[in-house]
Amino acid sequence: MNFNELLQVPQYSLVQGEKERILLEELNWCTRHHLEHCPEYRRLLDVLRPGYQDARTLAELPYLAVRLFKTHKLQSVPPDKVFKTLMSSGTTGQQVSQIVLDVETARRQTAALSRIMSDLLGPERLPMILLDSRGLIRDRTRFSARAAGVLGMMTFGRAHFYALDEDMNLDEKGLDEFLRRFGRRPFLMFGFTFMVWQYFLRRIADRGGRGADLSNGILVHSGGWKKLQEMAVSNAEFKRAFREQTGLARIYNFYGLVEQVGSVFLEGDDGYLYAPTFADVIVRDPVTWDEAPVGTPGILQVLSMLPLSYPGHSLLTEDMAVIHGIDDSSCGRRGKYFSVLGRIPKAELRGCSDVHASQVQA
Amino acid sequence: MKVRQIVPRDEEVDLADVLRWAGSGPGGLFRPFAPEVMQFCADVSRALFADKPAKAFPELQALAFWLRKTALERMRESFAALQTDQAWPVPRGVVFHVPPANVDTIFMYSWLMSVLAGNRNILRISQRASDQIQIVCRVFNERLAAADPALLGNTVMIQYGHDAEITAAISAIADVRVIWGGDATVNTLRAVPVPPHCKELVFPDRYSLAALRASRYLGLDDGRRRELAAHFFNDTYWFEQMACSSPRLVVWCGAREECASAAALFWEELAAEIARRGFSADLPASMEKFVFLCRSILDRPVTTARRFDNQLTVAELGTMERLNRDDCGGGFLFQYYAERLQDIAPHIARKDQTLTYFGFDPAERTELIRLLNGRGVDRIVPIGQALTFQRYWDGYDLLHEMIRYVYVE
Repeated sequence: MNFNELLQVPQYSLVQGEKERILLEELNWCTRHHLEHCPEYRRLLDVLRPGYQDARTLAELPYLAVRLFKTHKLQSVPPDKVFKTLMSSGTTGQQVSQIVLDVETARRQTAALSRIMSDLLGPERLPMILLDSRGLIRDRTRFSARAAGVLGMMTFGRAHFYALDEDMNLDEKGLDEFLRRFGRRPFLMFGFTFMVWQYFLRRIADRGGRGADLSNGILVHSGGWKKLQEMAVSNAEFKRAFREQTGLARIYNFYGLVEQVGSVFLEGDDGYLYAPTFADVIVRDPVTWDEAPVGTPGILQVLSMLPLSYPGHSLLTEDMAVIHGIDDSSCGRRGKYFSVLGRIPKAELRGCSDVHASQVQA
Repeated sequence: MKVRQIVPRDEEVDLADVLRWAGSGPGGLFRPFAPEVMQFCADVSRALFADKPAKAFPELQALAFWLRKTALERMRESFAALQTDQAWPVPRGVVFHVPPANVDTIFMYSWLMSVLAGNRNILRISQRASDQIQIVCRVFNERLAAADPALLGNTVMIQYGHDAEITAAISAIADVRVIWGGDATVNTLRAVPVPPHCKELVFPDRYSLAALRASRYLGLDDGRRRELAAHFFNDTYWFEQMACSSPRLVVWCGAREECASAAALFWEELAAEIARRGFSADLPASMEKFVFLCRSILDRPVTTARRFDNQLTVAELGTMERLNRDDCGGGFLFQYYAERLQDIAPHIARKDQTLTYFGFDPAERTELIRLLNGRGVDRIVPIGQALTFQRYWDGYDLLHEMIRYVYVE
C-alpha cells in the first residue's frame, strides 16, 4: 500500500501487525531512496550500519539522531527542487534544525495533517481562534516550527482570529466579539501549550468568574510540557483549569517534531497519544537501545513514510516515552498508544574545561 | 564586602580583613619547606586516609598520598637541588588559586606546591563545591585547629558567587594567580588585572591521547592484557573522561593487520573491564555520544565505528591530518593506526598534554620528545598514570613556579 492509498484508510484503524507490514515496506524503500540521493546519509549508514540490507522489522531500521539536523543540512533533492526550508524553534544562541522540503513532501505533509485533523474535527471548517500573534508569519519560504504549526493548522478553520497581539497581550475585545459571533456552535482553537496557558487561560482567569465561555470549543495544542512542568502544571491540571474557568472540555494535545513531517501524534479521549496510519513509534531501552517492552520507559524513536526530500523517516528523538499498549486501547483505536514523559536532560559534563563560555563570569 | 570563608573557619568574613592579612607583606611568610608546614600537610594526609567519607573518593586518596611525609621529604630533597650558592629560592608571597568548573580537587596540587614553597594562599571555592572539596575543607579545619597558630594565616578558602569586584580585589594583592581551566575561564580572568609583578599560571583546555605498540600488545598474556585494560580504565573513566589528561584518541603503532588485531582485542578487554567496574554512561551522556558520533561521521574522516552499549564508543579515523580535538566524554574514543610512533609527531599540537603509552622503549620516547621539540605534549607516562599528579604538570615545574630566586654574589 502506498502513501496515497494509506491516506484513505481511517486513522487508528489498522491493527499493529498489518500497519507494521505496510510501513516496513515503505520505510525500507525510503532508506534505499535516501541512500541513493543523499550522500551524507550514505556516509552515515556506511559507518553506523556497514553492509546494511533491508530491515526485517521496524526496529531494525537505521535511525539518525534528531539533533543532527541542527548542525547539518541533509537533503535528498538538488537545490533547485527545494520548495521550502523549515526551521525548528530555538532559544537564542542555540542552533536550529533545517528541514528541506520539496513540493511532494510538502504536499504529503499537508495531506497527512488534513487526514489527522479531519478525523478529529469532522469535514467542516470551523471558525478558528489562533492563540498566537498575527505577526508570527512573515517570510513564507523560511519560517519557524511555530509558524509552520500555525500555518498548517489554519487550513482547518475559517474566520481566523488571532487572539494575541505582538506583545503577547490578549485581545479581549476581539475574543468577546468572536465568541459573540461563533461561540454558540463548535469552534476550533490552536496554540502552543505554554502560550495557551500563560497568555490565554491565565488572562481569562484574571477577568474573574467565567472569564470566557469556551464550552463549544475544541482546543488542539502542542509544544511540550517542560515549562509547564516547571510550574507544576500537569496535563490533568491544564484540562481541569480550562474546564473550570471556561467550560472548555474538548482538549487535545499532540506531540510532533519539525524534524519529521507528518508525525503528529494526537491525544485520544483516553489521554494517550496515537500514531497516525503513516507513522509509528518505537521506544528503546535506555541502556541497550534495543526495542523496549510495553510498559518500559525509554528513548522515543519516530518513524514516518512522508519524508522524501530529506532522510528524516527514522529518527531517534531526545524524549523519553512509554508505550502503554498495542491494539487494545479503551477507546477502540488500534495500534500503539503511548505517553511522552519528558526531555532527556542535557549531559552534565564534569571536567576541567568549561561547558559554555557564556556561563563564565569573574 | 562579605564573603563566606570555609577555611580556616566556616564563617562570614569581611573581604577587607582577608586582604589585609594576605597583603601584610612578605614578613611572616614561612620559609620554603618549613617544618610546621610539612607537619601540617602530613597531618592532613593521615586525617584524609583515616576519614571514612573520604574513602569513597579515589582523588582524595590520591591527594592524601601526595601529602604523605615521605612524599614531602622527597620533594624537599629535589627542591634543595634548586638552591645553589648564588641562587636562593624564596616564596613569592600571596597566591590566588581559582578552581576549574568541575574537577575541583585538582587545584589542591597547586596549593600544595605553593604552601611548600612558603607562600600564603587564597583559594576560591566554587559555590557548587563537590563533596570531595567539602571533605577537604572539613579535614583542613580540624587539623588547623590543632596546629601551630602561625599556620592559621597560611591558607584561606573562600566562597563567593560571580562577583567581578571580589575577584578583582583579591587579584590586586596577588603575587601569583593560578587559573585552572578551561579556555573560557582563563580568558575571562585574564581580563581582571593583577599587579605588574604578579605571575600567572594558567591551565587552559588540553587534549590527551594514548599510543600502543600493536606487536607488544599482541604478545601479552591474558593477565597482563586485563591489567592494561584496568590501567586504561583508570586513565579514562575516572572523571567520565572529562579530565584533560584522559585520552580521547588511541594510536596503534605497527603494521595495519597487527594494529587491527590488537585493537579488536583491546576494546573487548576494555569493555569487559568497564562492565566489571560497573560503569555505564547515563542516558544523557549516551545520547551525547550518539549525536557526537553522527556528527563525527559527517565531519571527520571516520572509517568505522563500534558501540559497546552505553559504556564505550570507538570511531576509527583514516588520518590524523587536521585532527579535530573536540570531544564529548562519557566513554568516546577515536583510534588511528600509525606505522611508527614518530608518525604522529607532525599532527601533535600545543593543546596536547598527556601521551600515555605502552610498548615503547625509553629511547623511542626521548626520540619523540626531540622530534616534537615543544610542538606539544607535556607528559609522556605509562598507561595507568594519566591522572597521577606530578610536580611537572602542563609544561610547568610547579614547585619552581611558586618561588623566586634571589641572586647573591
